[in-house]
Order: sequence, then C-alpha cells, then structure tokens
Amino acid sequence: MGAAVSGPVRAAAGWALAALATLAVVGLSRVPWAEERAAGAELRLAWRWKSERVRRCRTLSPAEVAKLPAHMRRTEDCQRGLRPWRLEVAVDGAAAADDTIRARGAESDRPLFVFRRVPVAPGSHVLQVRFSPVGEGGPPPVGLDTVVSVAARRAVLVTMEEDTGRLALRAAAP
Amino acid sequence: MAHRITDGLRQPLARIDAALNRLYGWRYNPLYHSGVLAAALLAVVMLTGLYLVFFWGIGAPYASVQRITTTVFLGRFARSLHRYASDAAVAAVVVHLLRVFLQRRTWGPRVLAWLTGFLLLGTVWIFGLTGYAMVWDVQGLALVREGARWLDALPLFSEPISRAFDGERAMPGAFFFLNLFAHVALPVALGVLFWLHVSRVARPHLLPPRGLLAAAVGLLVLASILVPVGMAPPADVLALPGAAPYDLFYAFFLPLTRGLSPWMVWLGALGLGAVILLVPALTRPRAEARPPSVVDERSCTGCEQCWLDCPYEAIRMVERTDGRPYLVARVDPSLCTSCGICAGSCAPMGVGPPGRTGKDQLAAARRFAAAHPAGAGDVVVVACRQSGGGAGAGELYGSPVFPVSCSGNLHSSVVELLVRSGAGGVLVVACPPRDCWSREGPVWLEQRLFMGREAELRSRVDPRRVRVVHAGEAERGVARAALREFREAVRSLAAAPAEDPGDLERECAVAPASPEPLGRWVPR
Repeated sequence: MGAAVSGPVRAAAGWALAALATLAVVGLSRVPWAEERAAGAELRLAWRWKSERVRRCRTLSPAEVAKLPAHMRRTEDCQRGLRPWRLEVAVDGAAAADDTIRARGAESDRPLFVFRRVPVAPGSHVLQVRFSPVGEGGPPPVGLDTVVSVAARRAVLVTMEEDTGRLALRAAAP
Repeated sequence: MAHRITDGLRQPLARIDAALNRLYGWRYNPLYHSGVLAAALLAVVMLTGLYLVFFWGIGAPYASVQRITTTVFLGRFARSLHRYASDAAVAAVVVHLLRVFLQRRTWGPRVLAWLTGFLLLGTVWIFGLTGYAMVWDVQGLALVREGARWLDALPLFSEPISRAFDGERAMPGAFFFLNLFAHVALPVALGVLFWLHVSRVARPHLLPPRGLLAAAVGLLVLASILVPVGMAPPADVLALPGAAPYDLFYAFFLPLTRGLSPWMVWLGALGLGAVILLVPALTRPRAEARPPSVVDERSCTGCEQCWLDCPYEAIRMVERTDGRPYLVARVDPSLCTSCGICAGSCAPMGVGPPGRTGKDQLAAARRFAAAHPAGAGDVVVVACRQSGGGAGAGELYGSPVFPVSCSGNLHSSVVELLVRSGAGGVLVVACPPRDCWSREGPVWLEQRLFMGREAELRSRVDPRRVRVVHAGEAERGVARAALREFREAVRSLAAAPAEDPGDLERECAVAPASPEPLGRWVPR
C-alpha cells in the first residue's frame, strides 16, 4: 500500500497538501461577507433619558392586609421607579415603532435607554418621532417632525441633545 | 448515542490519518500533533504580538495599524504572521478536540484536560476577538457590536454597552485601553489553563517534532510574505458596511447569531456548555469494561517501574505494612484509565487491570498457542485493539492474532512464550506512538522488547524473531506489508525447535534483585 507511491512523488504530494492547507488558512481568514447585504440605509434612534421618579400607591383591602404577616401590615402598597415613556416613530406616514420604554434595574431606577434601528431605502423620508411620558402629569412630550435624507449604506442617528433636551439628527460620528 | 457518534465518525478520521501517514509518516503526521502544534503556533502569535504592540496606539487604533502595515519595519509581515498563526492555532485546537472526542479519551483523569481544552479554545477565541477590536476596522466593529448586544441582555451593566458603538457619543478611550489590557492579559490565562491541561499526565509533550514545527511555521512565514494581510475599511459607527474580509476562524458566528435574539445565543451557548460537560460521562465505558488496575502486594518488589511508566500518574509508591524493606505500588482508581501499561511494566506480574495482568495474559497466550499451533516458518501477530492489526477479526492475512487492549499492556513474557511455543516470529502491531489511546504504549513496548526497559524481553529470545510495526486503525495494508516482509525474514532464519515454554510465571516472580531501600526513593 505504502510502496505504491515513490518517495519523491510522496514528498511532492505532502508539500502540496501542506501548501493547500496553508492557503486554506489564508483564504478562510479573509472571507468576504457583508453585515448588511442590501444596499439600504438606516434610521437609528439612540438616546439616554433620565425620567422622573414616580410613586404609585393603592389602598389595600382589609382582606389583603389580613393576609400579610402581622409585623408587615400596612394600608398602602406603593410601587416606585422612574416613569416609563412611550416611543412612536413613523417613517413616510407608516408606523415604524410604538413601544413603551421602561427603566432598567430591579427598582426600575436606572435611566431609560432608547435604541431602535429602522431600515429604510436610501433617499429622503418624512420622519415623525414622538417621545411622551406614560401616565398622568408628566413633563411635556418631545418630538421631531422632519424630512431626512439618508445615503445608501449610511445611518442617520436621531438622538437627544443633552443640553437642550431636544431630538436632533446626526449623520456623522462625533 | 455518544458511542454511536464516536464509532461512526472515527472511521473517516482513521482513513484521513492513514492517508496522512502515507504522505508524512506517523512521526510527522500533523493530525497526531494537533495539540502541540496549537501550543507552538500560539507561541508564534505571542512573539509577533510582542513586536506589534510597541507600534499600536490607543488614541488612533486604525491609523496605528495602518502605519504598522505600511511603514513599520517588518510590520506587515509580523501582522500577517500574527494573524495566520492565530488562525492555524484555532484550527489545530479544533482538530485536537475532535480527535480526543472521537477516541473517547475524555473520561477519568482526562476530564480536567477535556474541560480545560474547551476553556483554552474559548480563551483563544476571546483573545482573537480582542485582537480584531484593536484593528478597529469593519470586522472589529461588527464583532464588538455583536458581543455588546449579547452582554446587554444580561443584567450586568448599569447602562447598555452597545451605546458606545451606535454613534450617539464619541468612542470612549477607556474601551481601547480595557481591550488592550484584555489582549495582553489573556495569554497569562492561556498559560495557566495550559498548565492545568497537562497537569494530570506524566511527561506531557509540549512541542511538535522539529521538522513539523519548522514546516508549519515556515509555510505560514511564506504565506505572510506572499499573501500579506491588508487593511479593511475603517470602523464607522454610522455606516452600514458592505462586503469586507472577515476571519472565519474568529468571526464564524456572525452570520449565525445576528438574526437571533441575545437570549437564543445565550441559550445555545448554555446548551453547548452542557453537552461539553456531559461528554466525559457519555463517553465513559462501563466500569466492568475498564476496571482500574490493582496491585498484588505479595508480588510487588517495589521496583517502581509501574510508577515510572504510568502515563497518568495513577500509581504512587507507599510504605509497606508487612515489614518488607521496600515500597509497594498503590493505584489511585480515580486516576486510572485501565490502559494496562503497568501490567506490561511489571516483571513479577503483580499489577494490572483485572483480567489483563501479566499472569492473565500468559494464561490467555497458553490457550492461544494451544489453539493455534505455529510452525517455525509461521508468524504470530499480537495486535493492539485500536491498531490495524486485525485484533477484532482474530487473524491477519492467515496469521492468528493475539489481541491486547494496548501494545503497552503486552507483557514481554507473552512474546517469549509464543516464540518458545514454536512460532517462527511474533509481529506486534501497535498504534503509531503519537496516536496511542493510552499515550505511551508503543514507546514502552519497543523499549521493553529491544532496549532492556523493565520488564524486558529475555535475552534468550532471538530479537530477530520479534518485530514491531506501527499501523493505525485504517492501516491494515501497512500491517499486511510488514507481515509479508517479516514472514520472509523468519523463513530465512534457521528454524528454532519448539521447546517447553516452562513456567514463565514462576521465573518472573523472583525476589527483587536490588530492592530500593526506603530512604532512597525520591517522589516525583
């Protein structure tokens, strides 16, 4: 079996296989791949929002109070945390997002973070963003109504300007 | 289930091994050396990395890599070699893990090596990811973003770390500093894991044969000169990158995971982790199939040979309780893989797995010799069950086969008995030494048969009547060719008359020639 192939031929085949394996390593280390295959564009909404603290309480019924251990009985059950906000996004009149953004953390006391990616075709689009507090008595909502132009394979960022508290567009990295 | 998978996939692996043995010989078969090749390639990665890190800048990562590639002396070459060696190291580690799994060398004392092997692979992978983040090109950004997406699903960070890479604010410089720290610190973790990886085996191999090492590194050097790596487009957080070169060895997961929710990714990772943890239990043979070695203390002469030969350091020499002035071997069953190498090392046949001690082998060999009377021109084959010697079939091209669990398990007295029973020769078919399932069986076998290592083949056996051939599971042709050649050699020898094999058991069980005094024993 082994004697069927002569020494030099075997050596040549051995080196050829080794070279092929090396080429495979080189080839597999540079495989062309597109993270986004289509030549589309993107509207990206990203900001951090420090919502105000809210405390919602309700009066417990006598039956509910009776169920509690004697040393833990109280008449009110209160939930604390930051107020959630509602995000509504429409592109060219069509709804692209309608979500409630809630604070993170076990106590819901971390800031609110908005992060949405909306794929769009390159070109101009009518963009409407409305960011409004959930529930009664919150601060006024924040909004953005504009026409945005996005080039192919680019993203336009909608973010909150921290000093003014307004939504603004950004097309290049800071 | 696991046994069915390993049995089914081992045949193709054995055939690939056989093909590579034909091309390179078993000494240089790269698949046999995949583990040590990975270690050597990682050493190349570290050396080139040490050079590159001097020119890399935290403030302008992409620009500094561009400068390395275009203007720094040997920068492009070092960067290319750094990348290709790390890619080849990943491939070598995967091959090594696959081999170990298919050969079911994952249970008993090898569990630690199995688990640390996966941790090593994971660490190498994270090591590579941090390296690509340092380049800060399209691929680096994609890898970092994907990792951030997974991490954000866990309740670890007070705010999503993905924010750093979405263009909302400038890239924090701390990210590159932390990443550099991780990239430089991870080799320390690799070193610790590597030490753990080999800590349960005796005499671990740490480097491949020089020729193989030179060829592997030489080819990568050549590739780095002829096909050096270039620069991909820089990372732009507000761009949707088109086609760019990705390193499949490190970024293979991107096309798979980008469409999945982070929880699905974590669930998949947990599932994979559970399977990896379960493999040792799933591949473990039944206890009765691989019983640990036991020591017959009455026979033990305290020579320490089994302690020296055990590939898993499962044997200790301890003080005797019967007043004899030397030590006695003690087997730790939790470390014993039942390879039986100790049985082949013990001249008085006082140690070994039940049913496979020297005494058991001699009894089986007597029955074998009676059942297969051999003439002066005949060759009897002794074959390791994992080799291509036909141990399962019971014969190899007309010669009867006496099977052993590992060639290192074979006691030299069995060879002597077969020759003295009238066989013209004994051909031992062993696995290639670097592919021994018990690590060192063929090495000890040759030393015992031809180099006087205890328990050595007695000088009264004509060494021309004993031959060892290395043939892997799918190399039956190699065994056949060796058998044909050996038959001719045996026939040309003067026929030795059959003689009474005598009581080899009694001859072997003599009092120790020079028992080591207790005070001279030095523990390993």
